[in-house]
Amino acid sequence: MAETTQLELVTPARIMAQQAVEMVVAPGVEGLFGVLPRHAPLLADLTRGVVELHQNGKVTDRYMIDGGLADVSGESVTILAERAIHLGSADAAQLKTKVADASDEEADFLNAAIAAL
Amino acid sequence: MASLKDLKTRINSVKSTQKITAAMKMVAAAKLRRAQDAAESGRPYSTRMRQVIGNLASKADAASAPQLLVGNGKDKTHLLVVMSADRGLCGGFNGTVTRQTRAEVTRLRAENKNVKLLMVGRKSADALRREFGDLYIDRYEGLQGTSVNYSDAAKIADAIRTGFEAGEFDVCTLIFNKFKNAITQEITLTQLIPAEVDNSEAGDGDAAAVSYEYEPEEDELLASLLPRNLSTQIYGALLESSAAELAARMTAMDNATRNAGELIDRLTLVYNRTRQANITSELIEIISGAEAI
Repeated sequence: MAETTQLELVTPARIMAQQAVEMVVAPGVEGLFGVLPRHAPLLADLTRGVVELHQNGKVTDRYMIDGGLADVSGESVTILAERAIHLGSADAAQLKTKVADASDEEADFLNAAIAAL
Repeated sequence: MASLKDLKTRINSVKSTQKITAAMKMVAAAKLRRAQDAAESGRPYSTRMRQVIGNLASKADAASAPQLLVGNGKDKTHLLVVMSADRGLCGGFNGTVTRQTRAEVTRLRAENKNVKLLMVGRKSADALRREFGDLYIDRYEGLQGTSVNYSDAAKIADAIRTGFEAGEFDVCTLIFNKFKNAITQEITLTQLIPAEVDNSEAGDGDAAAVSYEYEPEEDELLASLLPRNLSTQIYGALLESSAAELAARMTAMDNATRNAGELIDRLTLVYNRTRQANITSELIEIISGAEAI
């Protein structure tokens, strides 16, 4: 098995994901960036976008985040996001019902997530 | 000795009190589960955030770093953010916060510092109003309970940040009850501004030693990160405090229910004895009446 990096995706409500992956692609404010194992320590501001988890050269999981912070060290990536949605398990109809009773800001985010599905 | 009727009334009233406390205990226990989950699952986020900030603060250069991180170099005016519950009947929960706040204010005053208070939650705000009412800069209510909201926390954080930037205070400390487990709460003081440098974490890994790359530039990153950190810490504290409040209420109501049970037992005993005594004396009256004839 190829070398992996430990990804943690944490929101104020809970730990969304905690697993070993080969590569993480995160939406930095200055553009998408990929993190491979043994990446140089990096502290990056994230914007709204999709975090992709890669395994065996393929995308295995996707999360929509609403901005946040990525703390990258050689062996781990910690993403702190205020809001996150697991795109693998979400479905558009369900998200749409949430849009109806969400605040403007949140509705915005949910719509973006629906678009990314 | 109280009459039988009086005793009966008392027993009944204690019984209904017991029913109420038992119900409150159940409600608190049911809510506690959710609040505890929320508090515990919220911890990783705020711990990580604190680590990152502590890390940055330990390396930051006092002259150039943002003031939210390293402070404005003064230590004259302190703002205490006090978190208590909106409701009572939760044992020593609010009392602890109130007592700690009073001690802290007294201590700071003894050191010749100015103190301002930002009260979250009704109980301590009411309890301290007479003593320190003139120090209040704001009061918030109704933020706690089962539905703690991140945007509420952000609102408080914004108010704190604006105040700090306007130079209204130099140091900001948060006082709240931390949820330890269902029977213990721990009164906790966390310094929000300037950010606390976490020395305990620094030694146990290479994370503290490495120098980070920043994207975007360090100051830009800090400018967006620090306000977020403030909201996160307050949100975390709100969650902890809500869970601790419910836990305290559950324990207090459990004790109350048990005390009521004991009281009922004692009163029932007295009631029965009185009843016996009454019957005996009636018998004596009848017998001596019969003998007299």
